[in-house]
Amino acid sequence: MGHAVAIIGTGQTHCGKRTDVSYPELIYEAVSRAFEDSGLSPDDIEAVVSGSMPPAMEGVNNPHLYWADAMGAGGKPLIRIATCGSTGISLAHAGFYHVSSGLFDLVLVVGAEKMYEGNPQGVMATVADPFFQRPFLAGAPGIFALQSNEWAHRYGLEEKRVRMAAAELSVRNHTDALDNPYAHIKVKIAVEDVLKSRVIAYPVRILDVCPASDGACAVIMASERMVRKMGAKPAWIRGVGYCGEEAFFGEGDKVVWQAAINAAKTAYKQAGITDPRKEIDVAEVYNPFTFQEMLFYECFGFCDFGQACELVEKGVVMRGGDLPCDPSGGVLCTNPIGATGLQRAAEIALQVTNKAGDHQIPGASTGLTHAMGGLDQFNGIMIISNSL
Amino acid sequence: MSGESRILEGYVSLPYKWAMGAATTRFFEELKNKKIMGTKCPKCNRVLIPARSFCSHCFEKIDEWKEVSQEGTLRTWCTVNFSYEGQPKEPPYILGIIDLDGADVGLPHFVGGVDLDDFEEAAKKVHIGGRVRAVWKENRTGNILDIDYFQPVE
Amino acid sequence: MGKRVAIVDTVQTEHGDKLEDNIREIMFGVVRQLLDRVGIEKSEIGTMVSASSDYWEGISCSNAYYYDAAGANLKSGSNAEEDSGLAFIYGFMRILSGDYKTALVISITKCSETPSAATLTHMSADPFFHRPVGLNETVVAGLQAREYMNRYGITEEDLAMVVVKNLGNAQKNPYAHRGGQLSEEEVLASSMMVYPLREMDIPSTSDGACAVLLAEEKIARDLTDTPIFVEGVGWGTDHSFLGDRNLLNGSLPKAAERAYQMAGVKDPSNEIDMAEICDITSFHEILWMEQLGFCPPGKGADLVKDGVTAMHGKLPVNPSGGLFGANPYVARGLIRIAEAAMQLKGEAGDRQVLDVSRAVAQSVHGLGGQLHSVIILGT
Repeated sequence: MGHAVAIIGTGQTHCGKRTDVSYPELIYEAVSRAFEDSGLSPDDIEAVVSGSMPPAMEGVNNPHLYWADAMGAGGKPLIRIATCGSTGISLAHAGFYHVSSGLFDLVLVVGAEKMYEGNPQGVMATVADPFFQRPFLAGAPGIFALQSNEWAHRYGLEEKRVRMAAAELSVRNHTDALDNPYAHIKVKIAVEDVLKSRVIAYPVRILDVCPASDGACAVIMASERMVRKMGAKPAWIRGVGYCGEEAFFGEGDKVVWQAAINAAKTAYKQAGITDPRKEIDVAEVYNPFTFQEMLFYECFGFCDFGQACELVEKGVVMRGGDLPCDPSGGVLCTNPIGATGLQRAAEIALQVTNKAGDHQIPGASTGLTHAMGGLDQFNGIMIISNSL
Repeated sequence: MSGESRILEGYVSLPYKWAMGAATTRFFEELKNKKIMGTKCPKCNRVLIPARSFCSHCFEKIDEWKEVSQEGTLRTWCTVNFSYEGQPKEPPYILGIIDLDGADVGLPHFVGGVDLDDFEEAAKKVHIGGRVRAVWKENRTGNILDIDYFQPVE
Repeated sequence: MGKRVAIVDTVQTEHGDKLEDNIREIMFGVVRQLLDRVGIEKSEIGTMVSASSDYWEGISCSNAYYYDAAGANLKSGSNAEEDSGLAFIYGFMRILSGDYKTALVISITKCSETPSAATLTHMSADPFFHRPVGLNETVVAGLQAREYMNRYGITEEDLAMVVVKNLGNAQKNPYAHRGGQLSEEEVLASSMMVYPLREMDIPSTSDGACAVLLAEEKIARDLTDTPIFVEGVGWGTDHSFLGDRNLLNGSLPKAAERAYQMAGVKDPSNEIDMAEICDITSFHEILWMEQLGFCPPGKGADLVKDGVTAMHGKLPVNPSGGLFGANPYVARGLIRIAEAAMQLKGEAGDRQVLDVSRAVAQSVHGLGGQLHSVIILGT
């Protein structure tokens, strides 16, 4: 293991349609809050990591250079990291390695997206290669619908049961988002609303699907030496895991999904976690689609394969359950893609340091944070605790 | 694998709507009135153009507006003699970085009002350290090209 | 820094103006060749860090398209999007952390498939202020070169010498896309692009890919008799607005200082034996050399004139031909590193320079050289 790494400050913007600010100004907002939270100033920062989804999302090439000043990065080392939907977690990992390598003591990590400036679905259609997949797999909902149907079929899950569980997850996320000051979609909904909402790609309905958001997130990471020096009570990064797989959607098994399983296994091993269901107190599972969230429960070992509906039905993954998931309202209610994965990490850092305010899970000491990207291709995990 | 390899032709063209934020919005509104407005950092006292909402050096929010001169000194310049897709103007044209009086940073913009057919003659008028003044468009719609170009002054 | 990390081996494509194979096939080709040369299996690769850019590939999430073709299926990976020099540094950091013992660093760009560099670097300009006035890499290079000429009085002939040297060197590089024995007159006869830069002062883009295997010291020594150690790394960005920046003293001096400090280099002009740098124009080779501390400001052209930077001079710069030899935009930084490593290994064939034990590789992207990385390699 390398040097220990902690999260000592986070900053998020309000998410939604942020036409009130330019792209750099949006980032400035998140970064300033992270400085405020940590009591640090830009001069203290030794290196900066930043990223977003495809830069075509905003129509600017090299966006990290466009925002360099908004991160206070002028004169400092800066790397742009981009790994599609998993960008946010890849940013967190890159920040981690900057410190873990021993090269830096204080690193600023920034993820952002202004999805209202471009054409998100148009850009996402260009993630699929132009030869084979672009004509068919353009747009995310279709991919997730294919995946969830396969999952339900594999385990002989009754359609009505899966539908209900997904609807309950949608209600849970929408309800929880009301308590998160930075969340985008804030509407009170009931299960019937989900069941009646428009079908986007069978069986996925509009209320099963995340929005497009403008938003940014900043996280400051520090070495153990710096944490001691500052006397901070931080969130410690105890495990990181990432796994990618084949570019062709049809090639791998997306139900017993190896990239997701491996990413979790690697992170658990590093963190010394052997029974995730017992040892994890709260999880921010990347859930742009309700159905897919259940599949992740299985891949992350929260339950056996084919058993995820039960976790929902028994309330295990709800607030008050013993493994509450996405108390922030999750990706389902807030999705500025390049920031989304980093928001998950920031949220878990808040939870384990008892700073999550109205959506605090009482007594949470260890959390899992996750993001996914590509055409169901990449998964990244980070385990964060209030102790080393 | 050997054999023929063909090309698939494609075109990625997507519409964008870029939010300007309040500082840029006001900067462009002021251009409509032929005013070049910068913002002044309360900490380092630099006057920045284009006007911006935070200082790149001090990382402080900026609220104070300050008009800068329409005249300035040419820091450097070049002629653009080649074309590319997305280019805003037919080449050849001159581009410069202009240090406007009253501003502490430079503004990249076109330099015009000289005949580029006679390069020797043009280079006499356009030179580093030379003075230039903003020439405004007749119809100003609130963007950076409301300033048509900067013209060398004798 | 306790742990030492070394380059085990490198592979490049034979760069060209148009490689016929598909991106996945090219990626597979270089990685397969690297594994075979080193004699290891894919399973022995710890992690993969790539550099490829969406704008420079025309496929969003560019690394997703070739991830498995780079041998990374079911492995961890990341993508330092715009600059392969930074991907190398990230791979280095991953090994330093102790999480991985080996890291594959790869990069690919097929400029023949994309809009021109002029258009794509124009898209790097912000949409409000820089783009409407037509800034792109070449135009900013012109502004920068003019300011430099005005200050230090170098001539178009000085610039032409860099082109002649680099294209001459490239003739001996089997991976180069172009090369030739030109005269200064021929360079000066090419058409003016952005005064003072002529068509031949600006290397046109290429297709190419490169793969580098990094490993911690013990493993590197097991895998090769000639491990090349990463002695220092430094990188840094300049401010966003062009008018805020000092175009003749940007982020490179600081990045170089960081790298030299880590490597314990105090006098680069005497302690560095050769350099591979990103000569994005002939002028920039001169400017970057000064900022890398090879000579005082304003004296870069003298190094070329006096033959110091020639193939067998005291401090050869770009014996590969640099970007004049081949310029696959995102991959070019990693190619500089690979070329420097080949030199240090003594495997550079006809372009081998003599008595090298320490080299510098530099990479850059962004208008006017906004973000630089500097890597010091040694035997």
